[in-house]
Amino acid sequence: MISGHGNGSTMGYYCGVDIGGTFTDCVIMDESGTVTLAKASSTPPDFSQGFMAAVEEAGRRAGLGVEELLSQTDLLLHGTTVGTNVLVQMRGARTGLITTRGHRDALIMMRSFGRSAGLPIERLLHVSRHRKPDPIVPPAFIKEVSERIDWAGDVFLELNEDEARQAIRELLDDGVEAIAISFLWGFVNPDHERRVKAMVQEMAPEVFVSCAHELIAKPGEYERTAAAAINCFIGPVTSTYVRRLDEATTAKGYAQPLLIMQAAGGVVPAAQAAESPLFTIGSGPVGGVTGAAFLADMLGHRDVIACDMGGTSFDVGLIHEGVALTATDTVINQYTFFMPRLLIESIGSGGGSIIWLDEGSGTMRVGPESAGALPGPACYGRGGDRPTTSDANVVLGRYNPDNFLGGRMTLDAEAAHRAMATVAGPMGMTEVEAAAGAVRIVESEMADLMRQMTLEQGLDPRGFVIYAYGGAGGAHAANFARELGCDRVVVPLGDLASTWSALGVMSADVLHVYEKAQLMAAPFEADALNAVFDELEERAREQLASEGFTGDRVEIRRFADMKFNLQIHQVEVPVPGGTLTGEQAAAQVDAFVTRYEQIYGAGSAFTGAGVQAGVFRVSARGKVRTPSLVRGTSGAATVTPSGRRDVHWEGTGFQPTDIFHGEALSPGATVTGPAIVEMAETTIVVPPGDSGTVDPYGSFVITIGEGSR
Amino acid sequence: MSEEIVWDGRTYPYIPPAELRIAPGLTLHDEADATIDPVTHEVLRHALWNVNTEHGNTIMKISGSPICAYGHDFNPCILDEKGDFVFFGPFLQYLSAAVGNAVKWTLENRSDNPGIADGDMWLSNDPWIGATHQSDVVVMAPVFHEGRVFCWVANTLHQWDLGGTAPGGFNPFAQDVFWESPCIPPVKILEGDVIRRDIEEMYLRSSRMPDLVRLDLRAEITGCRIARDRILEMIGRYGAGTVKATMRKLQDDSEAAFLRRMDTIPDGTWTEEGWMEVAMPGDRGLYRNRLTLTKKGSTLTFSNEGSAPQGGTLSGTFAGWKGAVVSMLASQMLFDQMFVIEGALRHCEFEVVPGTITCATRPAAVSGSPALTLLQSIGLGGLVISKMLATSSDEALRSEVQSCMGVLSFPINAIQGVDQRGAPFSSFLLDPVGAALSAYSWRDGQDTGGWPWDLQSTMPNVEETELFYPMLFLWRKELPDSGGAGRWRGGNGAELAFVPHRTDGINLFTITSEVAVPGPGIFGGYPSSTNSFVLVHDAGVAEQIARTGRMPGALSELEGELDMVPAKSFDRRPTPADVWVFGWAGSSGYGDPLRREPSRVADDVAAGRVTADWAEKAYGVVLAADGQPDEDATAARRLAIRTERLGGTPPAREERGDEAGADGAQRLTEYLDVIDGQVRSVPSGRMLGPVAGGYKDGLTRRDLPLTEANPNVRDPSIHTDNAVVFRQLIDPETGTLVATEIVVDGEGLQHDSTIR
Repeated sequence: MISGHGNGSTMGYYCGVDIGGTFTDCVIMDESGTVTLAKASSTPPDFSQGFMAAVEEAGRRAGLGVEELLSQTDLLLHGTTVGTNVLVQMRGARTGLITTRGHRDALIMMRSFGRSAGLPIERLLHVSRHRKPDPIVPPAFIKEVSERIDWAGDVFLELNEDEARQAIRELLDDGVEAIAISFLWGFVNPDHERRVKAMVQEMAPEVFVSCAHELIAKPGEYERTAAAAINCFIGPVTSTYVRRLDEATTAKGYAQPLLIMQAAGGVVPAAQAAESPLFTIGSGPVGGVTGAAFLADMLGHRDVIACDMGGTSFDVGLIHEGVALTATDTVINQYTFFMPRLLIESIGSGGGSIIWLDEGSGTMRVGPESAGALPGPACYGRGGDRPTTSDANVVLGRYNPDNFLGGRMTLDAEAAHRAMATVAGPMGMTEVEAAAGAVRIVESEMADLMRQMTLEQGLDPRGFVIYAYGGAGGAHAANFARELGCDRVVVPLGDLASTWSALGVMSADVLHVYEKAQLMAAPFEADALNAVFDELEERAREQLASEGFTGDRVEIRRFADMKFNLQIHQVEVPVPGGTLTGEQAAAQVDAFVTRYEQIYGAGSAFTGAGVQAGVFRVSARGKVRTPSLVRGTSGAATVTPSGRRDVHWEGTGFQPTDIFHGEALSPGATVTGPAIVEMAETTIVVPPGDSGTVDPYGSFVITIGEGSR
Repeated sequence: MSEEIVWDGRTYPYIPPAELRIAPGLTLHDEADATIDPVTHEVLRHALWNVNTEHGNTIMKISGSPICAYGHDFNPCILDEKGDFVFFGPFLQYLSAAVGNAVKWTLENRSDNPGIADGDMWLSNDPWIGATHQSDVVVMAPVFHEGRVFCWVANTLHQWDLGGTAPGGFNPFAQDVFWESPCIPPVKILEGDVIRRDIEEMYLRSSRMPDLVRLDLRAEITGCRIARDRILEMIGRYGAGTVKATMRKLQDDSEAAFLRRMDTIPDGTWTEEGWMEVAMPGDRGLYRNRLTLTKKGSTLTFSNEGSAPQGGTLSGTFAGWKGAVVSMLASQMLFDQMFVIEGALRHCEFEVVPGTITCATRPAAVSGSPALTLLQSIGLGGLVISKMLATSSDEALRSEVQSCMGVLSFPINAIQGVDQRGAPFSSFLLDPVGAALSAYSWRDGQDTGGWPWDLQSTMPNVEETELFYPMLFLWRKELPDSGGAGRWRGGNGAELAFVPHRTDGINLFTITSEVAVPGPGIFGGYPSSTNSFVLVHDAGVAEQIARTGRMPGALSELEGELDMVPAKSFDRRPTPADVWVFGWAGSSGYGDPLRREPSRVADDVAAGRVTADWAEKAYGVVLAADGQPDEDATAARRLAIRTERLGGTPPAREERGDEAGADGAQRLTEYLDVIDGQVRSVPSGRMLGPVAGGYKDGLTRRDLPLTEANPNVRDPSIHTDNAVVFRQLIDPETGTLVATEIVVDGEGLQHDSTIR
């Protein structure tokens, strides 16, 4: 049972652990909503050490030994990038693939688009540099087996077990550590895949084995095969990691299964994650969006743009009507595979993004190249001599060289100026002009991304509240909010922002997504729809019940991917719950048209073409009753600034500006722009005309001045 | 045909004049701020690009047709007030020229009557004005600011069916344009931002699939509307002069980049030719497509002189051909300019001979040309540009030199019948968009890597095809050796085979022009394979799998009688006992295959990309039992091949180690350079003759059957009565393969690279 509070068990802790490249963060919360944070160094390659160190530190801060803490922990939730890293660095298992005879090249051909999938647009036209990535499974390890199932699931050619045995034997002789099995139409009739899997398990029980149909139930042999191959490629490392951690935490007294964050925005038990590590890929930024959804729920914000600006990238997720929006496929290392995931898009724009001069046009560009952690921005004083966004913030006086990151770091302002001069000089600009320009470029590119994402969903960004987290978010959020026409920015939770992803992981629900592909043409019959959803829901409810979720703790959402006949692109349309009536089934077409026109504009739908549904989906959430955060005690509305310094503002240039220390601000405190608020993890810029206030949970809320929107 | 040539888009194609003649009632906004600060420019550049992206995504999603989603047969763009490009889109590159011409023609011919006004959109598919063929429909929207045309947003999208004597608009038997979908010169489809019902109904009336065409029309209109409104927002915020200044600067920056690269190239002339078969079904002729590029100072001139007279299915119009030949300029010379192709177009001229397959006059039938002549012209464009870039003093620019792309002629494999659900269907297989990318001067071609002018070529999954159509694929695989042999190997094409499944019968049509003759190699590289259609009667698949439990995996594993299907064929009706085998060409090779590192050949053989036989025959690489090159046997084999090339005489000397141009000479090709107007064969150092002509006579000439050029090429006499040979031009002292040609009826490319 993993459903947390409310099962009649004694009340205990929620504990979220998120591992990043540098730090491992842990957040624990008790039943009253009191939160304790801890950080430890990440410990590659064995990340479990850092994990335990962070938990131990959190326990210490809460006055508990690690065993004491874990034995009183109801839910231990974890976000890991182990799988993503293995894939990105191509350090996965020696993987074999068994597939339908005649179709071994599906994974190699990559439907052709593997040569440019995921390339930034700036590199798209440079065809001479297009290249398919190194194969996840080398051609020699792809084995074909005679068998064939057709689209209806009927067997055209029975599985040739002799060939299958031979293929497995050859792969084992080649020393593979994992075997993926993917047959054409294996998701319609999984018999052949299952039989080969059983043979592998019998011949080599130690080998990690994965069938495509277990991961994905949609047509598209390339994406399904890629999913199975990637699952195997990252499988041994990830599953070993997850299992060991599960055992280690159990040994320390944690009585429930460890829960692992998925890209879809919820957690699953460790055993399931160990079998399907694929679904952890890209889950890194998911914690942040989940955290935003958690906080938005408490604050009553229904529509939120959640953005994370760190050192190298700017990641954006969307929450609409209280639900984080999702996408259905993923591109990583130029491989594309189907996988339900939170819609999160990224551009290479962070504090470390390099500002450079485009010699050809004589204009300034920012990113996507990043100074990374080493040398990092010039102002870090680690040898970097190229200017970055962070350096621009120093030159403009937004960052305080003597009180950066709560004083943990001293910045070298002179180095920032020197670096900026290398770009400013050739353009005939001053360092300050160049820095102000770079910041404008960064902020408008961020706004462009957010605008594009919302508009593509048929949503108006102006109705959204922006949540800005990550070290560099607070410095730019007010300006990109203004650019977008939004009136409110939330920099979440002051100090908690530093462990924001861990908080998000901690607040996650258990989530299972089940899909079934079946072609249906309108007019839809209620019986047919009910049959599909009954089947999916039964699986979902069974799984959740086994995890302790029943009754109102279970939240099921249904969707159908629908399109006009002869279209390829599908639109996800919600479907009502319960047993559908004929009327409801018929109304599904109207729901599709409404959603379609919301996305593409009034008049864009044309039902004369006929309507089809192809994929049905159930998203089943086991609601974890995470307590609400504790409200802080209100303090004085007016706060005395801790100092003043010259800060550069657009239009007016440098002006003496009030500086506030975050710790001096209690809920209710109000700051009028221009002002700078220096928090322990981020610096918040409140431009002239805007104002900021600390909300009851300690978040800093900026209101964009009406005159400047 | 009239005596006087008037380039007005009526009988002869429209070629825009330098100064557009626009009615005085319409004024253009042409004031740009004199300067723009570099930060605002960067902000606006990014925002304008996003406008174009959103425009394209909107079309793709609303249309959602496979043509759009997989074929990418559309493209959005932003043009300035005069119809010059600001941003072209990231989809099919060859559609570019057509749109610009359509806008310019509209400005010249519609500004007085009925007039061009705010809230209008214009629609056209006239190939003599500005469409690649009738199926590619252009929708253009003027963006007005304070009563003047500020700029245009426009797009092109391929339509399912606009009427005519054949479904899909293309009738290979068409005698003239009147057999085809109607040509619509620019008409006002939107007035006051409302669709004109009269025009829409006229537009849809001839279509067999009006519902889908109507949906696609909404895709095009909505795309333009979104782009127009976004640009107006930008003008409202930044001011018209500032936005215009960004547009001008984008064009100027692109031009500057283009000119910097042009400066590294000597003046000269470069020629390439290709051969297509079957102008009209039943004929067995080969038809020449010739392209010549001349660089003089900062101007590039493209000429089609020497191309076959127009006729049959091969004819295309100027708008399509211009887009085709310049589309490779974008990726080879403006790869860092984000689709701002105007920088090159400002310096391109076109000297066309009308009445040819690449500049047909009305009323020629032209709707089949994009898949045939225009596609081949893109490949030829890539080759003449490559030959030019090979002479550049800039090493980085020379890394754009490439061999002939794969699938030089799209093999249309149309399929009709009754599907597995009992409904009639008609479609064609989009699999060959998985063409092969060219080999470059420094790397191999990408197997099934797609086209260089469709940057995101996307093959359908086998399962998607099987779900909708009554067929079951026995295999779909990359085809070994189908990429041309070379120092850098051409990318492999692929092959699929299917049986009709759960249907009583299907009917297959083929329309292409690359079954007999493949694309040429470059600088001694070998040609690619060809497209191929084979119908295997009574292939015995069911018996075979019942007997052996094994699925056949190659043509050689099938029984039955082979029907070698020609480039254009009709009414092949396979039964479930037959197998249809369909292959598409790889890209050609770059450089002499004997200069390829043996270890690369061994890797290719191990991965199944090259067969061991071909490794030995073309590359001279002999593999030992462990799959590694046998060094001694390889050296001996390579010497034997050089000796064969020289007619049995062993080479007089070994190759010098020098690269072309090493000692300050002017590079001409990979293996030739020029000293004092004389061409030197670099491998031996031998002087061949004047660059102005005849230097190839100094090379040893060896004519071989075309089947020696690639193991997947079949005897051309199956399909044509013309004599075709694979010609090798060889350094007489070292036996190095300096050039290869495909020669039809004895004539070769004598002076394909000359510099002044």
